[in-house]
This record gives sequence, C-alpha cells and structure tokens, in this order.
Amino acid sequence: MSRHRNKARMETLPTQFLENQTAWEILTSEKYFKWLLLIPLLTILAVFAFYPLFYCLYMSFNEALLVKPPEYIGLTNYRKILHDPNFWTILGRSSSAVIVCVGVEITLGLGIAVFLNREFRGQNIVRGLCLLPLVVSPLAMSLMWKYFLEPQFGIINAMISGVGLPQISFLSTDGLAFATIMSMEIWKWLPFSIFVFLAAIRGMPRDVFEAASVDGAKSWYTFRRLTLPMLRPFIMIVLLLRVMWLIRLSDPLFGTTQGGAGTEVLDWYVYRIAFVRFDLGEGATLAIITLVMTLIIGAILFRQLIKALGTSR
Amino acid sequence: MKRVIFWVGVAVLLFVFIFPIAWIFVTSFKGPADIMVPTRLFFKPTLANYIYEFYNMPILRELLNTFIVTVFSTFLVMVVSLPAAYSFARFNTGYGHLLFFTLTTRMFPPAVAAIPFFIFFKNLGLLDTHIGLILLYLYFNMSFATFLLYGFFKEIPEELEHAAMVDGFGRLTILRKIVFPLIMPGAVITTVFCLIFAWNEFFFGYMFTRTVARTVSFGLISHWGSVVVQWGPMAVGVIFTILPTLVAGWFMQRFIVRGLTFGAVKG
Repeated sequence: MSRHRNKARMETLPTQFLENQTAWEILTSEKYFKWLLLIPLLTILAVFAFYPLFYCLYMSFNEALLVKPPEYIGLTNYRKILHDPNFWTILGRSSSAVIVCVGVEITLGLGIAVFLNREFRGQNIVRGLCLLPLVVSPLAMSLMWKYFLEPQFGIINAMISGVGLPQISFLSTDGLAFATIMSMEIWKWLPFSIFVFLAAIRGMPRDVFEAASVDGAKSWYTFRRLTLPMLRPFIMIVLLLRVMWLIRLSDPLFGTTQGGAGTEVLDWYVYRIAFVRFDLGEGATLAIITLVMTLIIGAILFRQLIKALGTSR
Repeated sequence: MKRVIFWVGVAVLLFVFIFPIAWIFVTSFKGPADIMVPTRLFFKPTLANYIYEFYNMPILRELLNTFIVTVFSTFLVMVVSLPAAYSFARFNTGYGHLLFFTLTTRMFPPAVAAIPFFIFFKNLGLLDTHIGLILLYLYFNMSFATFLLYGFFKEIPEELEHAAMVDGFGRLTILRKIVFPLIMPGAVITTVFCLIFAWNEFFFGYMFTRTVARTVSFGLISHWGSVVVQWGPMAVGVIFTILPTLVAGWFMQRFIVRGLTFGAVKG
C-alpha cells in the first residue's frame, strides 16, 4: 500500500517545478533516466542481437552453399527441415536431455541443499568443495571424463572390472553414450542448484520455522508447507536458466563423441549443417526454428519467474 | 547413528564431486606407461608432461590471451549490465519485454550466430584478435549478467531510495550512497560468474582464433590428434584451464555462505 503512495508522490513532484528545470534535471527525471541507463545495452543489442537475427532470417529463405551467391527459394528450407526425420529424432533427444537433466538437478539439488543445511564441523570446506564442478570448463570436463571412461585404460572401467563385470564402452554405445553425456552434464551442474537452494534456505526467516517446530510440525510438513513455497522463485530461476542452457548443449560433445553414437543434439546438428556441410541456408533455418521454440518455452518460464518473484516480495 | 549416516552422505558427495578433479591432477604427474594403467596407485611421479606442455605447446600464451579477454570482457559486461539491470529493476523499463529480449540473445545457437559475426569480423579485420573475442564474450555474458543483477537490484527495497529522494538527494547521490553499497555483493558475485563463463567459453574461441589470440580451450582440443590423444599433456592443459576457475569458485563460495547476499537487506 505504502509503495503505491510513494510512487504517486515521486511522479507528481518533478512536474511542480517544470518551468525551471536544467538539462541535467530533465536527464535525471524518471522518464529519461531509465532510458539513459539502457543506452549501452541497447547499442550492444542492436549490433550483436539484431544483426545475426536478420542475417539468419534472410539466409533461411535462400539457398546458400558458400560456393555460390545466395539464391531466393522461399520456404523450401523450412519444408526440408520439417520433413527431415533426423531433425525430429534430434529434437526428441534434446528435449529428453532438458527434461531428465533439469528434473534430476532440481530434485537432487533440493535434497542435498536440505541435507547440508545444518551446522557441522568443516561445513564451509565441504560446501566449498561440492561447488567446484560448477566452475570447471565444459570442454575440460568432457575431455577429463573421456579419459576416465576409456574402455581399455579408464579408471571407471578399471573399477568395473575390479568387481568382475565386463568392460563398458560408455561413449561409443548407442543410447548409453547419450546417457553418459547427460550424467556428465548433471555432475557439472548439480552444484548450481545445490548452491542456489542452500543460499535461499539459509536466507529464510528463522522465526517462522521456530514457530512451526513449537507447534509440533513434522519436518516433512514444514518442508512442504514452508520451505518449498518460499523456494519457488529460486526453483524458477534454476529451471529457467538450466532449460535455456540445456537447449544449447554442445560443448561436452566436442571433447567426447563429436556427435557420434547417437548423441547428436540440436546445436551440434546446426553446427554440422553450417560448418561441415557448409549449407548456410539450412543452418540458418534450423537456427530460426530452434530459436522460435526456445522463445516460446523461455517466455512461459520467464512469466512464471516474474510471478514467483512478485509473490515473494 | 544419525551422525554416521550424515557423514557417510557427506563422504559420498565429496567423492562424487571431488574425485574426478583430484584424479586428473594425479594423472598429470604420470608417465606415458602409467597413464595406460589407471589402477596403479603408486607410480614414479614425473614432470615430463609439464615440461612438454610448456616447451612444445603455446600454453603460456594461451593462458595470457584467455586472461586478457576474460578480464576486459567482464569489465565491459559490468559497465553495460549494471545500469541496464538497475533500470529494469527500478523503473520496470520496457515492462519486462526488453529484459526478456536481452535474455533471448543466449537462446540463439552460437554456431549460427557465429556465421554473420565471422563475415562481419573478417571485414573489420577482427578475426584472431583480442578485441574481437572481447566483443564476442561481451555478447555472450551480457544477458546472463543483466538477469542476475536484475534479481539483486530487485532485492534492494525501493523505499530506501524514495526516502532519500524525499530528503532531497539527487539521482547520482542516491546511486552512489545507497544503491551502490547495497549492490556490491551482488555485483561481485555477478563479476565472478562472468569471469568464469568467459574463461570457460569454448566455441567462439575455437571458431574465431587461430594463433595470435587463441584461448586455452582451443589449446586443449589441439591435443586430440587424428590418430592419438596426448593424454598426459592434455591432463596438464586441463589443470591449467580449471585451476583459475577453481580458485575463483572457492572465493565465490565464501561470499555466498557468509550471507553477504540479499538475506540481510530483504527484511
């Protein structure tokens, strides 16, 4: 309530002195100031976001094979991609990566955050160490795991044969290879959700939880009715960011399968069309299609996030 | 009993997250024969891989290049994102649409964004230069930084600024005396994130550099020849790639766990 009153006062205040405003006062009035602050961002956006976007839109309507000048072919590229069975397989694979990884990361992350949310000796060291995979470069991570997972001399297979089981070619078996890539991705990003949720839980007001325990609430009930609703905006943040990043998954493939063994995902397909087949037209079309899909998913999640942030204040 | 279960859980967590990183450190000290026998726990440590890496590979140059590009691009990201995020958070500029549009720059497949940039950079002579890569990383990190800072600015109560405004402070004084100190922890965290992301970025570095400005990630993948993979030197490369970010991660953890985040301001 009080906020609305303040806002009203802020907006009426400057107009009372409209006659004797200096240039500086005009610039720092709310109407102009907010755009003034955005000038650098808008400049960068204009160059680095609009230019590639329009270039791709233009290219997607052309047959562009690098060797000859682009030629207008209308919607042929779009028709080609939508009738390409590869595209649908890869789309399904990318979607499953998003769903599996995000699902595992959020549930496990929540569990581990609650698990670590207590005072114990060496707590800062344990938390700090658990955070480390997050900062490892995706490419270095994939090369590292490739070495660990080697069938002949990898440590993982050494452990497996130590128990008496046969060797497993993790990164060259169809199906298994993609599960391995998803596991690597989860290994790297699980700390992200742990650390966001842990920071959020630690920042929650204590008195509410004390009151709940005085009233004899069970810990599961407290978690469901108090912790979880308060965590909602943070879950949305993790969800939004991870979905956006997982759609763009491709770095781990460079160090491991290079798109082989049934691990090709959307971005790798785009890369292969554009840089291996040098078919810029089709590459651009695929980019536009994935962009539109991402935009729709992103817009839905983003709206939910803004809503969640709004209710938490 | 409960304590035992707890510590077993902690041990499992630490093993899963730390063992792979520790193991690559161990591997870097192994000679070619020991690398092929992972179970050999007691081996003669050798610096051969380090010597090879530093004498035969341009890793020092790559590290320096990555450092320059990372620091400058992060600085530019903060210059662009701090005011923008403040504008989005405080004045709701563009009613969320513009913020969303900023986010969309990361939704574009980098492989395709790379094509127009490549032509653009070629015409300007920016290929294989530090400036070119700095600009690309500015584009790469800007949206995430703005988004993160937007959240941090949102946590600063508007009432503080309104009160100062009623007391007759100008916009710049309010920014300097109220907003800036309160956003500091958030800005530091965002800076660390940007540094890490830029340092770890692979694709643009791979596509836009050759020799002069090539990054550590590029150097890493060059160990993968057409016939053999040089595992030993690569392990050294991996260590030098991840060491700076591990140190930064440790630093960030302390910032967050000490509760310097929004918790205190929120009430």
